Amino acid sequence: MSIEKAYILLSILVFLIGLLGVIARKNLITILVSTEIMLNGVNLTLVTVDKYLGKVDGQVFALFVLTVAAAEVAVGLGLIVSIFRLKGYEGSSEIVHLRD
Amino acid sequence: MEGIFILLMPLFAFLVTGLLGRQLGDRASGVITVLGGAFSFVFSLYMVYRALHSPVQVKLYEFLPLEGYTLSVGFYFDALSSITAAVVTLVATLIFVYSIGYMEDEFGKWVYKFYAYLSLFLFAMLLIVLSDNLLGIFFGWEGVGLASYLLIGYYHQQRKATNAALEAFVMNRIGDWLFIFGIIATFLVFKSLDIVEIFGKVDTADKALIGIATLLLFGGAVGKSGQLPLHTWLPNAMAGPTPVSALLHAATMVAAGVYMVARLYPVFEAAPQTLKVVAVIGGLTALFAALAATSHTDMKKIIAFSTMSQLGYMFLALGVGDRGGAMFHLTTHAFFKALLFLAAGSVITAFHHKLYDIYNFGGLKKYMPVTYASFVIGAMALAGIFPLSGFWSKDRLIGSYYEASFVWGLVGTVVAFLTAYYIFREGFVVFHGEERFRGIDPHEPREVGAVMTVPMVVLGVMAVVAGFFEGWYMHAVGGEHKDIHLNVAVTSVAVGIVGILIAYLVFVRRVVSPEGMALVLSPFRVTFREQFFTEKLYHKGIAKGYMAFSKATYSVGDRLIIDGFINTTYRLFFKFAKDVWKTFDIKSIDIFIHWLALSMFRSGRALRNIQTGLLNNYVLFLLVGIIVVLGIMLYALDRLKG
Repeated sequence: MSIEKAYILLSILVFLIGLLGVIARKNLITILVSTEIMLNGVNLTLVTVDKYLGKVDGQVFALFVLTVAAAEVAVGLGLIVSIFRLKGYEGSSEIVHLRD
Repeated sequence: MEGIFILLMPLFAFLVTGLLGRQLGDRASGVITVLGGAFSFVFSLYMVYRALHSPVQVKLYEFLPLEGYTLSVGFYFDALSSITAAVVTLVATLIFVYSIGYMEDEFGKWVYKFYAYLSLFLFAMLLIVLSDNLLGIFFGWEGVGLASYLLIGYYHQQRKATNAALEAFVMNRIGDWLFIFGIIATFLVFKSLDIVEIFGKVDTADKALIGIATLLLFGGAVGKSGQLPLHTWLPNAMAGPTPVSALLHAATMVAAGVYMVARLYPVFEAAPQTLKVVAVIGGLTALFAALAATSHTDMKKIIAFSTMSQLGYMFLALGVGDRGGAMFHLTTHAFFKALLFLAAGSVITAFHHKLYDIYNFGGLKKYMPVTYASFVIGAMALAGIFPLSGFWSKDRLIGSYYEASFVWGLVGTVVAFLTAYYIFREGFVVFHGEERFRGIDPHEPREVGAVMTVPMVVLGVMAVVAGFFEGWYMHAVGGEHKDIHLNVAVTSVAVGIVGILIAYLVFVRRVVSPEGMALVLSPFRVTFREQFFTEKLYHKGIAKGYMAFSKATYSVGDRLIIDGFINTTYRLFFKFAKDVWKTFDIKSIDIFIHWLALSMFRSGRALRNIQTGLLNNYVLFLLVGIIVVLGIMLYALDRLKG
């Protein structure tokens, strides 16, 4: 097994762990963190493939993803805090406003 | 080309009085009408002079190009047409002058219309007389029909007048249908409508077809001239003003039938069977109308029946082959019949249009001398007394009848006797005897004004002298000159005098009381007065029968068959629709629609549970969706590669 395959497998694993977290966990903060994990899995793939092909585009994409993720966390955390303040929830199972 | 002016003058007068009459006033309209007639007469005299040298045919313009033949508007001036035109315009002009006096009482009530119609009447008649083709004659034919309708119904406040106008129109329409079919048949036979061309082709055409065509043409003449069996309109047409009656009977409408047959005589000669029909119809009408005239009491109707009778004379003459004699009698008849009508009109005017029955007058001789003289001259001419105009033309005709067959001659003599009797009966009752009008109208009757007497005097002179032109007329028109048969002349004058004498003895001397005679002869009198019940027969038989037939067809055809069919169809369709509704609509469509709605409702209720609002579930759906989409894409890629 080449080193690239190992990295790809690892990145898939990380992505699936994040996905599982998003699906299964109820805590909003944890879901946010799991999303970050998924993004990191994707970043790992990008960097790995970049390394393998000898290009830099993927690494630039990865940097963008990190930047956007940082911004997203800032906004997401703000939303979560304000939901918590307004409604007093912290589990995603209690938030059913999307139904309306 | 000058001949056109004969037609243009009355047309011009018609247009001026018709369009500007209201501004010009009634008297001026009358004067224009008279001038139109007078100028027309002057031009027609000129055309007589021209035509006696050689016939003139004027083609005005091409009217309707057909395949192989072009219809054109044109006029033909030969001796017959131009002399007839001169007579028509002369008599019409005198009647126009007279009508100024006759209508004076009504000035201010739009009498200009009356004058416009008179001009139209004259124009249409001249179109008949002068046209060189059958289509032109037909235009004139319809024109006099229209003008007579307008004039007979001139007193449109009276129901009698409007009914008479309508009757005249409808009866003429029957004749006109036959006439137009006759024209079509003539065109089929000769491939031409031009009279001159037709005459050239008579010898080569199929005799049987000519027979049919001429029979149809004669049908038109029967309608227009009020012959049996289309006669009922003519006495009723007396509801119109008297100048109209005079014009109708002397110069225009009813003469048109005789003139048309005389004009197309070479064609009729080629169909001897038709001529027999013409003779029979003419002879029967002459006798029939003379009998009817003996028992009528309406001043104008007696003269109207006399016209019918005299026209029958002319047709009989045409039927036995004396064309020249028929036309000559038409000419003399125009003078003395117009004279009689104008005299009758004077009497009516003297009583302000209130009295019409002859037994309401009496003893007018000393009050109205000119009218009396006019009437007597007209009556004597009509009775065929020597040497007035009627004598010459009538005896010539009776001579022709005897030449053809003894029966026709006898009919002619009997009618001559009846004619003398009935016209002098009218004259004696109106002008002699006691003054019966006193009881109804206390004021003294006065002689009418000069505007009315002068035309009467002129016509009286013509009625006296016209007979002497027989030789000249026959020479011009091309008929053979016949010497008077002395025995015929003596017999007919004798029967005429006997007729007058009987009338004199009964109605003046009262040797036999007329009232007693009327009582004794009552069945005959009623039969004659009702014209052998022909009018009743038409009303009861044809009109009522037609009504009954219409009612029967309405109840059977309309109510039973058509309505029944429609109603049955409606019921059947309604039942069918109900069945469809019950079986198809309710049981199939409604159930399907309900099922569809219900299933939607149920599936919606089931699917509603998916919408939880839970974030985790949505992500799970997202994942499933991505997997499905990826699966499809991979499968599609696989297929593309394969």
